[in-house]
Amino acid sequence: MSTAEERAAALDLVARLKSSYPELPNAPTPDLLDHKRIWAYLKTDHDVGGEPDAPMTYENKQYEGWEENTYVICEVLAWRGIWLSEERRRIGNVDLGRTMYLGLPYYGRWLLAVARVLAEKQHIGLTELSERMVEVRERYEGGLEGKTLEAKPKFEGDGSNVKRNEHHIRAVGKGDPQVFAGQAGQAKFKVGDPVFVRELPALFYTRTPEYVRGAVGEVSALAYESPAPEDETWDRQGVKPEWFYVVKFNLADLWPAYTGPADDVLRTEIPERWLRAAS
Amino acid sequence: MTGHDHDHDHDHARTVAPMVDEITDFEVLEIALRELCIEKGIFTADEHRLFTEFAEQIGPTPAARLVARSWIDPDFKALALAEPMTASKEVGVDWMEPTGFGTPSDFTAFSILEDTATLHNVIVCALCSCYPRPILGNSPEWYRTPNYRRRLVRWPRQVLSEFGLVLPDGVAVRVQDSNQKHRFMVMAMRPEGTDGWSEDQLVEIITRDCLIGVALPKAGVTTNVITATRPAIHPVT
Repeated sequence: MSTAEERAAALDLVARLKSSYPELPNAPTPDLLDHKRIWAYLKTDHDVGGEPDAPMTYENKQYEGWEENTYVICEVLAWRGIWLSEERRRIGNVDLGRTMYLGLPYYGRWLLAVARVLAEKQHIGLTELSERMVEVRERYEGGLEGKTLEAKPKFEGDGSNVKRNEHHIRAVGKGDPQVFAGQAGQAKFKVGDPVFVRELPALFYTRTPEYVRGAVGEVSALAYESPAPEDETWDRQGVKPEWFYVVKFNLADLWPAYTGPADDVLRTEIPERWLRAAS
Repeated sequence: MTGHDHDHDHDHARTVAPMVDEITDFEVLEIALRELCIEKGIFTADEHRLFTEFAEQIGPTPAARLVARSWIDPDFKALALAEPMTASKEVGVDWMEPTGFGTPSDFTAFSILEDTATLHNVIVCALCSCYPRPILGNSPEWYRTPNYRRRLVRWPRQVLSEFGLVLPDGVAVRVQDSNQKHRFMVMAMRPEGTDGWSEDQLVEIITRDCLIGVALPKAGVTTNVITATRPAIHPVT
């Protein structure tokens, strides 16, 4: 278990990490790197909750045409069984590394995830993608000059031999997570149970936020059964679904020097593997 | 050849370059990927168009209507809290559309958080931008910023105050980090000064910000707190 101060200290350290710690040389020798800094480097980049930051001016943003198309491509790829949305979240939010995660526009990361998954799963070769990018750029050489931005596929291909996942068939008419209902067995915890969140190594992917790891909360609800994100993000087959719980934490316990009332709370969803009974 | 082998006489520093409306890097990549996907049969142009049509008709109005109807009709409110996806259908949102298993990134696990006289709810996704798109439309840009995501889970009252929302004594904050498959929205309490209002009138004051929980509905207020909008380079048409 960790204290509120320890959790805040870990987040302070992560927050100062830019592309590398300035006090260290690039590619430091192992003796120069302590456990806490290795932890910070390996932390999944998307997990920003609780990192210190100053207020900024919040704004809306008009949708770029390519942003809408990118969102649609991502959803259609999931609809047609090319990936699970959980694969997209890992590829676009975590695999990129911290510099690109924080440096690129939101939908820029979605779009890079599309390119990445199509290359990794061998649907599209990098060579043909590069050539097509050159071709598209040439169509608009000298500027748009009134031309609309549009895709001009040369033909419509036959998709019958494209490798697709099982989920996009199995989930139809049921939904997700309902498609996994009844597969997790007996739930280990019930509403009202005190639980503490394990401090498991979180190499490459997790959706259990660092800011609750080591903290004690209370089960508010049994949410549903589903494979854990650590497995689902690779569409791993043969994985047993597990119970997910909505767990409530007292904010004054979670954070040092919390200035709000003692009954302010935070709730988040956690799969069973991360929880142990607390007394 | 250099740029200076021409022999006319002018001051380069004062030459204004003509504005060229260039295609951007992400536009190039998006078009190239979409073309290759269609040519390889990964998806069809029709499927892409169908999902685009779906995506272009989602927005916060059904969610506002769901809350307004809950204020007026106690039976509907009970349904909304117990079976939120059944109640969603009553306001025209089928969470299973358009694929038969929902919008893949939003799943089909929806929960409505009810405010009370002693509890105020607010949502965030500290890990990405999980948001109940089918019933609320796309999330606003600020909701996706690392800034909002970093701070709301730790300094919720400070962040809410930046939206102009200062909660009175005796009202606890409940932050819902929607970090897995559940999607959440907030059902605020009906404000004073709305006695006898029709459902349509009530819908007007239940803004997107109220449904996220960064604002409270108020008679006469029909716009979001954040209205400043950065223009796109090539906006969606």
